[in-house]
Amino acid sequence: MLNEIKVGFLSAKSSIKRGNKKTLAFIVFVLALIFMNLVFLPSMMGGMTGMFNNFMIYSYGDIVIEPNEDNTYIDNADNILQKVRAVQEVKSATKRLDVAASIKHKQKVVGATITGVLPSEEYDISNYPYIISEGEFLGDLSQDEIIIGAMLAEGYFGSEIYDNLGQIKPGSFVNVTYSNNVQRTYKVKGIMEGTFELVDLNALIHYKEIQEVYGLDKGKATSIVTRIKNPDDSANVKEKLIGVGIKEPVFTNNEKSEAILKQAMETLDLVNVISKYVSLIVGAALILIIVYINVLNRKKEIGILKATGITPKSIVFSYALLSIFYVSLGIIGGLILYFLLMFYFTANPVVFYESIEIIPEIRVGLILQSIFTMLIMSVIAGILPAWRVSKESILEAIWGR
Amino acid sequence: MKEKSMIKIKDLTRYYKSGEGIVRALNGVSFEIKKGEFIAIMGPSGSGKTTMLRILGLLDKPTKGKYTINNLNVVHLPEEERNYYRLTQLGYVFQDYALMDEMSALENVYVLSLMEGKSKKESIAIANSALINVGLGDKGNRVPDQLSGGEKQRVAVARAIAKKPRILFADEPCANLDTQTSKQVLEVFKTLNKKFGQTIVMVTHEDWHTKYVSRIINLKDGLIVGDKRKRK
Repeated sequence: MLNEIKVGFLSAKSSIKRGNKKTLAFIVFVLALIFMNLVFLPSMMGGMTGMFNNFMIYSYGDIVIEPNEDNTYIDNADNILQKVRAVQEVKSATKRLDVAASIKHKQKVVGATITGVLPSEEYDISNYPYIISEGEFLGDLSQDEIIIGAMLAEGYFGSEIYDNLGQIKPGSFVNVTYSNNVQRTYKVKGIMEGTFELVDLNALIHYKEIQEVYGLDKGKATSIVTRIKNPDDSANVKEKLIGVGIKEPVFTNNEKSEAILKQAMETLDLVNVISKYVSLIVGAALILIIVYINVLNRKKEIGILKATGITPKSIVFSYALLSIFYVSLGIIGGLILYFLLMFYFTANPVVFYESIEIIPEIRVGLILQSIFTMLIMSVIAGILPAWRVSKESILEAIWGR
Repeated sequence: MKEKSMIKIKDLTRYYKSGEGIVRALNGVSFEIKKGEFIAIMGPSGSGKTTMLRILGLLDKPTKGKYTINNLNVVHLPEEERNYYRLTQLGYVFQDYALMDEMSALENVYVLSLMEGKSKKESIAIANSALINVGLGDKGNRVPDQLSGGEKQRVAVARAIAKKPRILFADEPCANLDTQTSKQVLEVFKTLNKKFGQTIVMVTHEDWHTKYVSRIINLKDGLIVGDKRKRK
């Protein structure tokens, strides 16, 4: 076997060293495109999926507890929070109050959801404190201050497709009319920009403000949002929360995401899988054609090699090595193209649905899987035609009879 | 003492299907080859000489008949063993050089030694020596495209003799060469035969080639019609 490997290696090395360099460059270029296609689209899809999942974090954290169907509020939110925080896997938790309101600035009025938050707790819960594009986030002592979503403020990403409050900046004043007709005036403390409607069409104020407006006691909340140490373990932690006696409905981020995005994600996944298999089939066909033409052109040489005593195994091994070489160069070329595109799209995100910026996600696992798949495919596609010709009789291979 | 026969052939027959009919390429041929003979197999087109050489070189199988090399019946050897026999015992020089275009002259020669299990260093040394024997010691690094027709054929000869085969088969080795280059190649054969006692079986249809050989077998319609040994 070692002799066959040595001969196969010598034969492949000679082909590479003295073969047509232009043909090699073309083959490598096409294989690079195939590899790039294999990893690029899933990266874009991954970016989109990851982005949607991140958006879910704003509203639902990793696990969210909501009021029973018949209730508007969770009545004993502080007790529940205590139980939640006592669970070992929980990293942090907070309560929120969501209410519907209209916001007026000068002559412009828009409807929005206003969320009452406990500002210092949000640092460990959501990304709200980190997406303030202008001004500052709320503080624990904030009073009569509001954070406005970017799509409600003219000039920000996505604001042109929705009703907005016009030129609004930190320091501007807005009038809020709550669903119970109570009116309040707030000073805009900051603009938050998450480039996603669920965030950017809303506003934030201090939890206590909503408590006051609605006359709610301290234990009321519309949701308890929880972050856990290992987000992949949310299903188990959910069971633990139920186990410690929480009677209100408990949802994982995935359950909430699925309800909203399941169909879209399934469609994207399907497109992704189809695209992946088409790329693989095209790649395999290309290698097969390249090696097959190569083998046919050398059919006589293969016959001669056999006639002189070279074994079919070493011939097949030589073509497998050649295919691996082509594909390895293709993978390297594809990786270069891929990272160039990744850098470009990270700097210039694709705008989706006019208001969502998609930044592709580089997934090492996906890249490694694609490299492995391409290499396996190249070995198979390289071996098949060589094996077929090497099994022909010597007379057939050399003299065609 | 009577010299022992190296190759024995008895009633060798080879039929081919051709369209509706059958071509009787060899029709019950029998002869023996002794070690150190340089034989020319001659005959007109279609006489069966190339078929004969292919069977002798284990590239083809007879329809019936017996073929032994050193008393080993090689007709029914499994393909793997025939392959090994070709690699280690037989050398073959083809009409059209049959070199690997992308391998240098040296690589074309030493690839077979590698296959036999010799180290690269040893294989290269053997190949260099074979190339020197055919007068191409300084052209080992050239690829076939950089060699003349005669040089290519001499590389093919070097490849065949590098492994020191028991028998060297040559199928019209000068068919694509001019007279001068043909002479060079035939001189190489003659030297190998005289100097090293190399057994050679060569198919040719050029009468003037016979002055280099020690025995001439004439074929016609798949039968031996003449078998003449020259006096030493």
